[in-house]
Amino acid sequence: MSDGWLVLLQQAFSLLLSFDPHVWAIINISFSVSFAALLITIIPSIILGFILAFSHFRGRWIVTNLVQTLQSIPTVVIGLLVYLLLTRNGALGDLKWLFTQKGMILGQMLICAPVLIALSQAAFSSVDRRAWETSRTLGASWLRAVWTLCRELRVPLLLAIIAGFSRILTEVGCSMMVGGNIMNVTRNIPTAIALETSKGDFAQAIALGLVLLILALVLNFILGSLRGKAVPRSH
Amino acid sequence: MSLANNTVKYPVSIEAKDVMIKFNQKMLFCADRLSFSQGDVIYLQGDNGSGKSTLMKLLAGLQSPTKGQIESHGFVSTPWWRTQSLLGKAVYLHQHPYLFEGSVKYNLTYALAQRSLSSEQRKKRISQAIHMSQLTDLLNHHASDLSGGERQRLAIARAWIAQPKLLMLDEPISNMDKHSQSLVLAMINQLKQDGTGLLISSHQTCGLTALCHQYWHIKQHTIHTSMHVPTVEEVHQANTTELHYGTTN
Repeated sequence: MSDGWLVLLQQAFSLLLSFDPHVWAIINISFSVSFAALLITIIPSIILGFILAFSHFRGRWIVTNLVQTLQSIPTVVIGLLVYLLLTRNGALGDLKWLFTQKGMILGQMLICAPVLIALSQAAFSSVDRRAWETSRTLGASWLRAVWTLCRELRVPLLLAIIAGFSRILTEVGCSMMVGGNIMNVTRNIPTAIALETSKGDFAQAIALGLVLLILALVLNFILGSLRGKAVPRSH
Repeated sequence: MSLANNTVKYPVSIEAKDVMIKFNQKMLFCADRLSFSQGDVIYLQGDNGSGKSTLMKLLAGLQSPTKGQIESHGFVSTPWWRTQSLLGKAVYLHQHPYLFEGSVKYNLTYALAQRSLSSEQRKKRISQAIHMSQLTDLLNHHASDLSGGERQRLAIARAWIAQPKLLMLDEPISNMDKHSQSLVLAMINQLKQDGTGLLISSHQTCGLTALCHQYWHIKQHTIHTSMHVPTVEEVHQANTTELHYGTTN
């Protein structure tokens, strides 16, 4: 590693450890927006995933394919859609959410939901049907039986949540278009990295990149420890 | 069919009228009228794939019939949001019971969350269930560590704790050693003494069938009911005759 890189890394760490207000404001916005989007999406998406796995309504195949397709739509396209909705003449223009955190949350919800729905559907499809039947026959309500299945599937469901969260925390396109990258308002980690890199301020970009890297490590350790505790079932 | 005096003495019952089940466009079985009441102990017999488990799931409200009606009588009315009125009333136990991820105690007390019991009643019921299933030493063990016989005992104790009026046991003693069989038999006998209606499916005639006083037989897609429970010899004789001459329609 050259000296230049070492200096940049040193600067990046000092920005983080000295609690640079600009850097930590960006981190704060990034996490609060993404957590809000995740929290709003999580329960309806898991329930929808359960319905798609367990029910056999007409059109289920189309909905499943639609959800899977939505997973692979570029975030910038979702950003464009949300922008058109929130722009002054758009369907939701009266909300005045464009270039606000609320607008960013809406965009991230649309990005997160298909990932959560598709992965939770896959998890519920793999569950032993006797778990559902046992819960119901012992008198559990529909909601408690769903909760029981979620408990049984906590590792794959946590994996789905982490996948959804990673996707929204690291996406640039939608945040840039809907948020507008306004300092202390809508500038989050990915948009800040893009901006600082274009300006040549690599130290801040690296500092923010390090935050994402540490987060990825922490999430993987959590998942790894849960996987380690999960015992293969014998029936 | 149920005895008339049973219906009077034990008002809780499930009745199936003109039911028919189709599976992949093929008829699995049909029945004009079936009645399963509290106090009944019914031995259900049928070949592999004849639909024994399906019939039990049907009566437990876990599955709907292709045609016909299943009605419950005498149960406490459920809130309006509980659309499936049979669920939780008649408990169905799988041939290979499903135990939830967690400890033996968690599994044992699972059904108690749905019951409004005082903490005293709750404790009493748990200790009775532990005593009956002889799982005292395993209470804090992970459920997946249990042997086949212990799993079955835990599943029956878990169902017992829910105080079902009607219980359906799908092959409860298959693939078990003699000791586990006798423990499970004792538990089933206890349930019978408590007045729980039992519907028991089994391939073999054994101590289990000796407890029964009604007989349902799924044969050639039809459910035949009788008050006469065949003995070991009668079943063997019937099987041998079928092997020699085949079945007749």
